[in-house]
Amino acid sequence: MHARRRSMVRLAVVIAMNFAAPHVARAHDEPYSFVDVHLETQVLRGQVVAHVEDLAHELGLAAPDSLRQAASLERALPRVHEVLERLLRLSNDGTPVQPRWTSYELVPERQLVRLNWESAFARPPAVIELRGPLFTYDKAHETYFNVHAEGAVVHQDLLDVGRTSSSWATGKVQSRIAVVVRFIREGIHHIFIGPDHILFIVGLMLCGGRVRRLLQIVTGFTVAHSVTLALAALGILRPPARWVESTIALSIIYVGAHNLLRRQHGTDRRALIAAGFGFVHGFGFANVLGDVGLPRQALAWALGAFNVGVEVGQACIVLAAAPLLALVHARKPLAGKAVVTAGSALVIAAGAYWFVQRALLS
Amino acid sequence: MLRPILRALVSTVLPTAAPAHEYWLEPSSYSAAAGDTLVVRAFVGTGFRGELKPYAPTRVVRLELHGRDERDLAGSALNGDLAFARFVLPDERGAVVAYQSNFAAIEMESAKFDEYLVAEGLDAAHAERTRRGATGPARELYARCCKTWVAGNEVSRVQRVLGLRHEIVLLGDPLRDARLRVRVLFDGKPLAGALVRAWRATGAHRAAARDSVGPEAEVRTGPDGTASLDVHLSGEWLLSTVHMLPSSLRHADWESFWASFTFERPAAATLPPPKRRP
Repeated sequence: MHARRRSMVRLAVVIAMNFAAPHVARAHDEPYSFVDVHLETQVLRGQVVAHVEDLAHELGLAAPDSLRQAASLERALPRVHEVLERLLRLSNDGTPVQPRWTSYELVPERQLVRLNWESAFARPPAVIELRGPLFTYDKAHETYFNVHAEGAVVHQDLLDVGRTSSSWATGKVQSRIAVVVRFIREGIHHIFIGPDHILFIVGLMLCGGRVRRLLQIVTGFTVAHSVTLALAALGILRPPARWVESTIALSIIYVGAHNLLRRQHGTDRRALIAAGFGFVHGFGFANVLGDVGLPRQALAWALGAFNVGVEVGQACIVLAAAPLLALVHARKPLAGKAVVTAGSALVIAAGAYWFVQRALLS
Repeated sequence: MLRPILRALVSTVLPTAAPAHEYWLEPSSYSAAAGDTLVVRAFVGTGFRGELKPYAPTRVVRLELHGRDERDLAGSALNGDLAFARFVLPDERGAVVAYQSNFAAIEMESAKFDEYLVAEGLDAAHAERTRRGATGPARELYARCCKTWVAGNEVSRVQRVLGLRHEIVLLGDPLRDARLRVRVLFDGKPLAGALVRAWRATGAHRAAARDSVGPEAEVRTGPDGTASLDVHLSGEWLLSTVHMLPSSLRHADWESFWASFTFERPAAATLPPPKRRP
């Protein structure tokens, strides 16, 4: 009976919503486009296939169907080219590709326009990258991106609101360099946008120590997270994200508590803690790397570079925080103790907040 | 009495406000002889009317044929192809094509997201949002878990549990039972309280405007995850259900899993409507 009543209520709500905000189903509710790139001897050739409704939106046309007529499309073609030159964020070794439009055709039954282009290059490309999707005004838009070389499809990807870049590396030396540079940047970026990783490392350093000890902590963390990052990125082991993120929060609480409870002259187990929890942080890094997307042709290089980036990010934090903490501990031991107590309390509070958010509220 | 009137209002006079889209597989034929080549395409839409969805290998977690044996169909199509798979049917005893995608992301403004939760019967998620006092945009990750049945006389093949993350498992014969029992599984466990809908497509339906046709039946699963749906009429059928959970990922608030099952009852399979249960 209750189920029936709820069902009635739901139907009534749907009706009320329709009255309040009538929704007209669009003819193009599944917006997508296609970008194909063919790598030839001295030229890139390609196609952009776009829906007339998306093109009409960018051109400011009120009647998208007009583009389905050859004469109207012909008239609008220069503006269509302009729009696509602005939206097609395709690069060859970091240099934007300037398409020279060669021909076009209508695919009326699917309301699509296919535009062919070519672009000459001085030297063979190492990395071809597309940023997208092609039409960003619609958050549901997806762009199918294919790269063809030597008669075969060598790269297939889909760009959408959650994946905004896709690159294909030819596997040559310069492409590897490009991959390495990009993934070092991604690693550094991730450390600086992830306050939990920062807090974990800073928490471990609060009690100070000699340079050798700090190096052991950082190295323990690095070795451990490199192992699990590789396992997850290669698809060998992928624990649930909720478990990973919650345990990362717990690791932060543990570090804070350890600082408060540790004996002054007891055994320093921080390197061990860093390594132990580093395994879990590695899975967290892998979640991010999954979003970025690893180039299959240079998987090992990308993974290694991402790790290097993470290390560089960590090193920056250590180099900024360690001398300051060392100075406080050396000059004003009482103030040093206060920093440890207050800092650890802050670390515990932040960890507890994240744990509740990730494990209990999710 | 009031319910059909309300549905008729929703279905014919007013287009639905629900922004959510079903996703289903459609074989080139729902019955075929051994050795026939079949093509499977995917559609996304509402009211069992939709647009073709191109194939994207990066979205595929599983794309398999389950019949006489199990065959991996992933990789038989190229990125952007309108056909998800082409395969030769090994025998006439029936086969299920199953597809599971990974997550795609979408972001919706708060009011629209709440509308969608209500329209899809996602009461638990809606209550949770209300409890949290959520007012900002909702970031959702959604995954598709679809099956389609190329009919045959070995019914046990359609009843197999395939282990999709979210799965509609048939407990009866989709071509013979007027009231079809199904079990909804999530992570392999029965899912209670899931709203299962049955949509039917006929020639007239295909000509109807998108969003103008309501489901033929909708029912919540019981504590054991089972539900019975009236499917006595002939035509192409889509069973669908969606399950939503709060996300523990940093870049998402919610994760939804869309399960669907398609089959076709030929004209000869039309039965009298099942007796209404007390």
